[in-house]
Amino acid sequence: MQPRHKFFSPARVGAIAGNTLLELVRLKVFYFLLVFALVLIGCSCFMAFVRSEMQFQVLKDVSLGAMSLFTWLLAVLATAMLLPKDIEDRTLYTILAKPVPRFEYLLGKLLGVFALLAISLAVMSAMFVAVLYVKEQMVIATSIQQFKITDPAQIAAVVREVKADTFTWSLVPGVLAIYFKAAILAALTLLISTFASSWIFTIVVSVAAYLIGHLVPIAREYWLADGGSWVAKAFLGLIALMFPDLQLFNLSDDILAGNAITTGLFLQTTGLGFLYITVYGCLAYLLFAKKEL
Amino acid sequence: MKRIAAALVLLLVFGAVKLPVEKSISDAHHAAYFHGARLDLSLREQIGQGAFLAALGGFRGVIADILSIQTVTAWQYTQWSRIHLLCNQITTLQPRVTFFWEMAANYMAQDAAAAALQDPKQPSQTLRVKASRDFIRSGRDFLERGIRNNPDRAVLYDRLGALLMDKAQDHYGAYLAFTKASEFPDSYGYQRRFAAYELSRCPGKEAQAYALLLKLYREGKPERTPTLLQRLKAMEEKLAIPPEQRVYNRGGTPP
Amino acid sequence: MPDPAITIRNLTKVYPIPFKRERVVAVHDLSLTVEPGQVYGLLGPNGSGKSTTMKVLLGLVPASSGSTQIFGRDSTLVESREEVGYLPENPYFYKYLTGEETLRFYGKLCGLSGQPLRDRARDLLKLVGLENAADRRLGGYSKGMLQRIGMAQALVQEPRLLVLDEPTAGVDPAGSREIRDLILEFKSRGITVLLCSHLLGQVQEICDRVGILHKGRLVREGELDSLISIENQTQLIFENASPDLLARFEAEAAACGARLVEKSKPQTTLERFFLEVTK
Repeated sequence: MQPRHKFFSPARVGAIAGNTLLELVRLKVFYFLLVFALVLIGCSCFMAFVRSEMQFQVLKDVSLGAMSLFTWLLAVLATAMLLPKDIEDRTLYTILAKPVPRFEYLLGKLLGVFALLAISLAVMSAMFVAVLYVKEQMVIATSIQQFKITDPAQIAAVVREVKADTFTWSLVPGVLAIYFKAAILAALTLLISTFASSWIFTIVVSVAAYLIGHLVPIAREYWLADGGSWVAKAFLGLIALMFPDLQLFNLSDDILAGNAITTGLFLQTTGLGFLYITVYGCLAYLLFAKKEL
Repeated sequence: MKRIAAALVLLLVFGAVKLPVEKSISDAHHAAYFHGARLDLSLREQIGQGAFLAALGGFRGVIADILSIQTVTAWQYTQWSRIHLLCNQITTLQPRVTFFWEMAANYMAQDAAAAALQDPKQPSQTLRVKASRDFIRSGRDFLERGIRNNPDRAVLYDRLGALLMDKAQDHYGAYLAFTKASEFPDSYGYQRRFAAYELSRCPGKEAQAYALLLKLYREGKPERTPTLLQRLKAMEEKLAIPPEQRVYNRGGTPP
Repeated sequence: MPDPAITIRNLTKVYPIPFKRERVVAVHDLSLTVEPGQVYGLLGPNGSGKSTTMKVLLGLVPASSGSTQIFGRDSTLVESREEVGYLPENPYFYKYLTGEETLRFYGKLCGLSGQPLRDRARDLLKLVGLENAADRRLGGYSKGMLQRIGMAQALVQEPRLLVLDEPTAGVDPAGSREIRDLILEFKSRGITVLLCSHLLGQVQEICDRVGILHKGRLVREGELDSLISIENQTQLIFENASPDLLARFEAEAAACGARLVEKSKPQTTLERFFLEVTK
């Protein structure tokens, strides 16, 4: 009846990932944060400005800002609870007492979080696109009515001009960058949770790492520049070495300002994201492999 | 503890490996006009720590939007200094949103300049004019800074040309701005004409302006606007072009 | 000769105390063997090293020195856990899963899938008497039901060895009896059981061998019957005999016509023996 033991089993990893996703979806905090994000997106629709172009700008800024905030918070909160909860409930013992290598356990947990982040971001993106579309149609109808435009060519010009301010495919890399930033944070949080004494400590350190990660470019620039105090340079050098450069994943602000990122540059950026996730995952395994449970 | 120490060492080693990669990607981002915002301590002092952290954390757009809402209120109370400060913060946070540079320039060069000319609290006409010109200068600064941050966009060159033409009476500057705007693939036809008009108003540039106007005239009917014909006539008279070579009188194709 | 189910040789586990020079020796030079098919009781007061020994055996905690084997395989290898089912003390499972989903989850971890896994889950639920609660979430299970589902998940991959840590802790007498009966059922199927329990009466009912740990050391170990027999006493049971006949029994019994019902070594209770050894 027993199948032969495999060194690596996607089925085992899949079982743990699926179970993790199920567990996280049932966390009430997920619904609260989702409502929070949806309320934000909805509120931005009611901002009245003279120029419709500004309305779309605000709607996009607030929506993507809310998506970014919610996604990285979810990444940290969801991941921080994974290991401590399993250890406290002893479910970790029942899992690892089965022929499940520890790295598969960690990988399954992380993939579960990634799946949660992908689903929540997809839902928010769908909401955002829907709201943007409705607003776009309203503005088009209002413009045509207000200026009593009847000429089809002029109507087409109005539609073109309004659509240029709403959804463009260049937004997609911005949303994907939000996902990668959250995924990096999830991997980093998992690493911290392998040695942290409590989940509160994990959350605090992860949030600090998130903030510091955005200062890495400044730290790097100062460290590589000539002059300056050696103490400050050493400290900032340490920051630049130890923390991920999360600014590289803040693309949505500039994309919303009209910048488009080339495919090559985007792939380089996401490649770096994969590298961060892989390294933090491996370090988490290094610490978890011989952890006394 | 040994494992934690080993993990720290490996993290530092990875740091040494990732540093040049990050720098390379960051440089490529900057070259593609990403992360152009200078988020430094002076900005932090102006917008506060919370807003600064939010800006660092990827919410520059939201903070800029909030500040731009505040400009509306400040405008209602004609608080021009506050608007100037807010516009500085907004354009620092979002240097790649051309709308904010335009907005700032409009506030200063149009609204503030006009208000300064009518300022009931300033009895001296001379000082009112000076204040108005200072605001126009400030508007011009915003557009020039905007262009430095957005050299790849036509709209700010166009707005600068319009400001210099209407407000600053800097015809040569307007000519340069409109010329630059017209070089972009999505430029408007009027920009070349406006460049030629402004050049024709610059003393000592009549020959160059005449050549430009003639070139446009030869392109055919869409370019032969009343203003173009008028400026062409003015240049022909200033340059004393022989009557048989003049375009305006002949009404036909020039030799 | 089949490999022993469990072989522990010179196992020592030391926990250093962070930021202090002291250390805690949880297990000191422990050696024991559990043969296949036995029910082995590992006993000891709180802090004696029972849980640590179990955790080292299951690879949850690394040994400081010594070795542990399961059916001849190094127990630190992940593969060795194919043969082991484990029920920890007071376990929680994922409350939002039903009984059947729980078993299917653990079955997947053991490499099972599809129809065989579904069949296995149903069979186990029947075995532990939870077939009527199969579709109910574990959040609604009683303590006894949780212990039984725990037993079921320990059995999902048909292990040859079961490690049970306080399987009847907090369970009412009826539930406790059911679990005891299950263990006897496993024994009849040839499954080796390593049992930790404070309920010495139950241990006395079901275990073949016991080992008693005290402060990390194995102080007594052996067949249950021989451990709790009192060597220097002989018990005679008479029917219709007076006390005067005791001294002359062996020589006079046949001649006097008294019926000797039983002659055996009197037994103390395991509980008294345990307390005497560990004081």
